[in-house]
Amino acid sequence: MSRLTRGVRVSLLLRSLSIQGSWNYQTLIGTGFAFVLLPALRRVYQEDEEALRAAAARHAELFNSHPYLVTVAVGAVARLEDEGTPPEMIRRFKSALRGSLGTIGDRLVWQAWRPACALLGIALLLAGVPWWASLAAFLVAYNALHLWLRAWGLRTGLQEGLAVGRALREAPFQRLGDRASDAGAFLAGLSCVLAIGYAFREAGEYGLGALAVAAGLWLGLRIRIAVWAVLVVVWAVDIIVVATS
Amino acid sequence: MIPEPGALLFLVLLGGVAAVDGTSLGQFMLSRPVVAATLAGWIAGSPDQGALLGLFLEAFHLTVLPVGAARYPEGGPAAVAAAGAYAGTSHSFSALLVTLILALLWERLGGLSVQEIRKLNVRFSPRPGTESISPSLLSRGHLLALTVDFARGASLTAAGVLLFGWILEEAIFLLPHGSVARLALGVALAAALGASLRLFGNGRVPLLLAGAAVGILLLVLFP
Repeated sequence: MSRLTRGVRVSLLLRSLSIQGSWNYQTLIGTGFAFVLLPALRRVYQEDEEALRAAAARHAELFNSHPYLVTVAVGAVARLEDEGTPPEMIRRFKSALRGSLGTIGDRLVWQAWRPACALLGIALLLAGVPWWASLAAFLVAYNALHLWLRAWGLRTGLQEGLAVGRALREAPFQRLGDRASDAGAFLAGLSCVLAIGYAFREAGEYGLGALAVAAGLWLGLRIRIAVWAVLVVVWAVDIIVVATS
Repeated sequence: MIPEPGALLFLVLLGGVAAVDGTSLGQFMLSRPVVAATLAGWIAGSPDQGALLGLFLEAFHLTVLPVGAARYPEGGPAAVAAAGAYAGTSHSFSALLVTLILALLWERLGGLSVQEIRKLNVRFSPRPGTESISPSLLSRGHLLALTVDFARGASLTAAGVLLFGWILEEAIFLLPHGSVARLALGVALAAALGASLRLFGNGRVPLLLAGAAVGILLLVLFP
């Protein structure tokens, strides 16, 4: 019979929201991981204070993961602690899991889902949709996946324990990431044209806008430096022109 | 413009929330520039202008990826500070351009302050190799780190609103001509949005073009 009651599970889920609260260059999210796991550890070691303190110290060691999918590790480790799995095996399990959780989450959420949802908000704003509706569309779409990932992760971790690798392989993350990227690329094209329509007013200017999009496509992730340079140069030149005329 | 004291207080609190939402707590994306700036604009009395500023900052921020221990600019508090100051201006393209430059600088400063906090957080965490730790001590350290992060974001926002507000109010000579600013902003926005394709893979150019075609259709049908 599991000692991880519904109350403990809810507590794990809520605490997972703050897993990166003490992010540091020594243990990364290790301290946060131990903080999130404490309700489960307290339940498992409720009659042995020394064992509880030792377990808290073990789980505060170096750990990293995507902050949403970390619930997979939290759930699985809570179950392993509940089953009395040897600490060394849990340590090896955490070490093996963290790379996969980071890679899957980074690709799905940071690289595909979030920019696609942000572009949805941008496209709506540029299309003249009221600000509150545009923001709501962005936040609701984004957080639907975000909250589902956290809840799915915890449930899967608790159910599968050491076998979470199979559940991660079978989950449709790759397909979901591909579809989000498709939507993102479409919304990027739509936003580019709406931005040109918003900022420029005549044929020559539209051509300038198209050139800017082409430059952005070429520059890719180096775009921030270029944007910065364009804005500062235009600002500086204009100040000089005004000052000398 | 520097907002009224009541609005300033709410902006500072929003800056703190945006800072912790960025990494420490929740990550519901209230810290994204478009959200944070719009809410700040709403507090300062002009949500549409906040949304406009946020739209630009969001486009510039799309390619920032918080992967692993990467060091990156922090969008939330900078967006709140910039929108809080910009909301009370004449809303010209010139003021927008200057505010965006200041906001991008503030994002960089925010990123540096996050790095310092992450060094400081080592003190709130148990040393590696510790064999026993009190759960209450662990919890206190974790919650203290969260609180410090909130205070960092709030301070950064307060300083930003006051500095940007002063510049936009007093330093009129720093504001360029409207038409030049509009073209520069248009070029920067279009380029930033085009660059976002790199996140989704260059093989998706046909989808980008399909989106562009729909955009052209929309502009023709609803000029």
